[in-house]
Amino acid sequence: MSRRRHEDADGSPYAPHSPDETAAMLDEVGVESEAELFDVPDDVRFEGELGIEPRNERELRSEIAATLAKNDDLTEFLGRDHHTHYVPSVVDGLSERAEFLTSYTQYQPEVTQGFLQALFEYQSLLVELTGLPVANCSMYDAATALGEAARLAGRVRAASGTTVLVPEILHENKRAVLENYVDGSDLSIDTYPMDDGNVDVDALAERADEETVMIHVENPTVRGTIEEHLSAVGRVADDVEALFCLGTDVVALGLLEEPAGVGADVVVGEADALGLPTAYGMGLGLFATRESFLRQVPGRLVGASEDETGRRAYTLTLQTREQHIRKERATSNICTNQAWVALRTAMHLSLLGPDGLVDLASECVREAEALSDRLSALEGLSAPVHDRHHFREFLVRTDRPAPAIAGELETEGFAVHAVDEHRLQVCVTEVNAGKTDELVAAFEEVL
Amino acid sequence: MFEVPEDRKYMESHEYATTDGDTATVGISDFAQDELGDVVFVELPQTGDEVSQDADFGVVESIKAVSDLYAPVSGTVTAVNEELFDRPELVNEDPYGDGWMLEIDVADEGEFDDLLSADEYREQTE
Amino acid sequence: MNHDQARYGDDERYESLLSEKDSTEIDIETDADSPLPDDLTRDSVELPSLSEPEVTRHYTRLSQMNWSVETGPYPLGSCTMKYNPTFAEDVAADPNGAVHPDRSEESLQGTLEVLYHLQDYLARIGGMDAVTLQPPAGAAGEFTGILVAKAYHESRDDDRSEVIVPASAHGTNFASAAMAGYDVVELPSGDDGRVDLEALEAAVSEDTAALMLTNPNTVGLFERDIEEIAEIVHDAGGLLYYDGANLNALLGRARPGDMGFDVMHYNVHKTFATPHGGGGPGAGPVGVTEELAQFLPSPRVRERSGAYELYDPERTIGKVHGYQGNWLVLVKAYAYIARLGDAGLEDASAKAVLNANYLAERLDCEIPYEPFHHEFAATAGERDAADVAKHMLDHGVHPPTTKWPEFVPEAMLTEPTEAETIDSLNDLADAFNAAFAADSEALESAPSKTTARRIDQADAARNPQLSWQALEPSEE
Repeated sequence: MSRRRHEDADGSPYAPHSPDETAAMLDEVGVESEAELFDVPDDVRFEGELGIEPRNERELRSEIAATLAKNDDLTEFLGRDHHTHYVPSVVDGLSERAEFLTSYTQYQPEVTQGFLQALFEYQSLLVELTGLPVANCSMYDAATALGEAARLAGRVRAASGTTVLVPEILHENKRAVLENYVDGSDLSIDTYPMDDGNVDVDALAERADEETVMIHVENPTVRGTIEEHLSAVGRVADDVEALFCLGTDVVALGLLEEPAGVGADVVVGEADALGLPTAYGMGLGLFATRESFLRQVPGRLVGASEDETGRRAYTLTLQTREQHIRKERATSNICTNQAWVALRTAMHLSLLGPDGLVDLASECVREAEALSDRLSALEGLSAPVHDRHHFREFLVRTDRPAPAIAGELETEGFAVHAVDEHRLQVCVTEVNAGKTDELVAAFEEVL
Repeated sequence: MFEVPEDRKYMESHEYATTDGDTATVGISDFAQDELGDVVFVELPQTGDEVSQDADFGVVESIKAVSDLYAPVSGTVTAVNEELFDRPELVNEDPYGDGWMLEIDVADEGEFDDLLSADEYREQTE
Repeated sequence: MNHDQARYGDDERYESLLSEKDSTEIDIETDADSPLPDDLTRDSVELPSLSEPEVTRHYTRLSQMNWSVETGPYPLGSCTMKYNPTFAEDVAADPNGAVHPDRSEESLQGTLEVLYHLQDYLARIGGMDAVTLQPPAGAAGEFTGILVAKAYHESRDDDRSEVIVPASAHGTNFASAAMAGYDVVELPSGDDGRVDLEALEAAVSEDTAALMLTNPNTVGLFERDIEEIAEIVHDAGGLLYYDGANLNALLGRARPGDMGFDVMHYNVHKTFATPHGGGGPGAGPVGVTEELAQFLPSPRVRERSGAYELYDPERTIGKVHGYQGNWLVLVKAYAYIARLGDAGLEDASAKAVLNANYLAERLDCEIPYEPFHHEFAATAGERDAADVAKHMLDHGVHPPTTKWPEFVPEAMLTEPTEAETIDSLNDLADAFNAAFAADSEALESAPSKTTARRIDQADAARNPQLSWQALEPSEE
């Protein structure tokens, strides 16, 4: 009995029923046709056509490839909280093994030890990098992780305050997500000023008071500056008994000050800077915190235990925090997360090792500094705008209007971001470092 | 068959309170611990806190369930079984003994009349 | 079916942790060539330092100790674990799609075109007028949909405080409504497993912002009174929300928009076969009626004289994801839908429902609620459903969702999907029946053919060890 489907077969190519089998199954169920099995009243039956034309695999691959080829082939010098590093081929090869890619959440731990161990290792790698003892096995992205941090601050707050303080330069998208995450609570968002690309600590201290439940600081900032006042911010947060939430990313963690060392209570950010190639903003939300907030942590946690033979084994744990058990009193509504991206990030980190990570992070500082110097040497540009150390990216002041320059660079094959009328933002990592000569030449062309 | 000692009274929500003297010892019944399965976490008030009858005073968790705990009687908490924070399994092993949760200085002994006797509770759980 | 899962390791563990294979500490000041002053750097980093062959072997072994839908049947009810076509991976891996979200619209016409067509396909499938692709998972879609409902009521100066959710709903429904600031009103299930209209009448009021419903519901039954339900909710001024978890039962046969739903989310990692990746990523696009389109998250994609552009809906709720959601998932969903087309989608549902009914026919157990569609809730009766599930693991299949929904005693919520052959359905039935026939000793000692034997979950929760740093030294 052949099940092979021809390309023009009228049905799902992934429903492996031969006509004879379908007939036998219908017979066993006791109906004449599948339609009889649908207990749908006539009034709400859909009799029309969806109008979606099926295509075979070969046609579709070339069709979608042709569509995506309409994207301009630009060399991107873009960052702003969303960064790309070179992902070794072996990450693709391993993570795309079907046993990982096509598995579900580990509801039966005995038969899913592999993924559970990988997630346990991911948590452990983040524990090492953040210095905080609890890391969950992912949020969607940095923005939603920040939203969850604010909600956690709302739950554990010591005082009756309601204000979450964020930097005035917080990425507008993050701010928008955060607003929605606190929309259902009594929390509100306020900003504190920056001073030359770093926290204006005096102004922050003035702004923070008993109303403050959380202070969010980023290192590096969305402008690429490295924050020099983290410990001072930690003291301000302590003084008003607010949570200190530090935003960062997984590469920066390899070199910049350790969050636990500066007093961070929660660490959020993008962990997909390792493991995931650029994917139009798809992310991996990093979330780590102190032991005392363990039962307030959103999302899944993998823990170690033992099986009947006494061997170490892993399982999802502390699930009573989660929506499927605690329902409306859950710490978050998150269910599906970014587990597969977390797997890839852990793979990439394992391949880098400590020296590889530190080298990569160091390169992020050096490349930014070098490119900044070269651009600053051009007539009509000065960089960096902020007199700070930079990580991957920096601002460039332009004499001519920045959006016009960005537009002209695009026609030269380069994407940079215009922050406002006279500032561009340029991001450089090992991925595009080999193209900086061309970028500088293109700048010379358009200036 | 679950143990339902005669020397205490019960709530429909399965908490018990001992009735001998001014101080009531509060916990959950043998039936309740069995229903919950392995208890993994207990959240209790602090000594000195006030609890009132029928209001929730804490939480007991198993791996797959969370239950609020309700006070059988009103009063002041005079002792909390802190051993449960390290060994929540005592609730399973000995719910009427080492698995106790609170001692309450009873404000109004009349409130005991609102509770179920051992016989009434046994009937409820059968 | 015979099955022995791979099992590496020794007497202590199944595979050494990365940290047990190596742990190397780098002192930033002395061992590294740091470009920064010391006060801006950490002191040291301690991580495993392994070669590529070692890392490859580590993860290959872990993969072999992991069940997947390409390994065998994975009939988790409400999860729709169907075959994930490999070509969609290749489509998603197209380097032309690997773009940064800050790129100009003009330079991303290809990406926007794919998203635009996916919005359109989903709108057609759901019978909705407008779709956002931004929510990165089903629960995020619920949250988005409820925020849209909230914005709608607020735009009418209509202050409403409650969202009604059936007791049998997914936990995310409760949590999403609560996150949006609503009080959750739980609606008990009727005796027939469906919404009880009288109970619904009693629950709705001028405070009702929305009713969240899955259809077919969480035991696979179609809510036949859906039009009356819609009328009751709409008459009270509330909106009707459709949880798309079970949409695989209805493709091309019935559409939420035609049933009176105002807002819905799609679980593309269920219905549209994108791989679930061990827990995610998913994507939870949200569809709405024309009236609600103005509240959708920003930005959306539209077409203007042959060019695609992003725009902010007039009264947008803002954003629910930092960028545009999970691109890699969305493009796979697009590829799947386009591969199947009208006839394929309809056939997918037909075979999903046929498979569930055929499997149920062969089981030696009670299924209290019928007629079900793509999934059914069997009951393990006197047995512990969790034990039955462990026993099934020894038969080369993954067990169904257990002990949920709660109103079915010892529930085993089973959804084989259209991707199983008659032979694998027979294997699945054999696994069920062997477990139902097993004595309690056999049930409690299972599983034995999986990598790990029964795991002590109580100990994991009582003594949380959430990282290798937290592991207690082994008692040797």
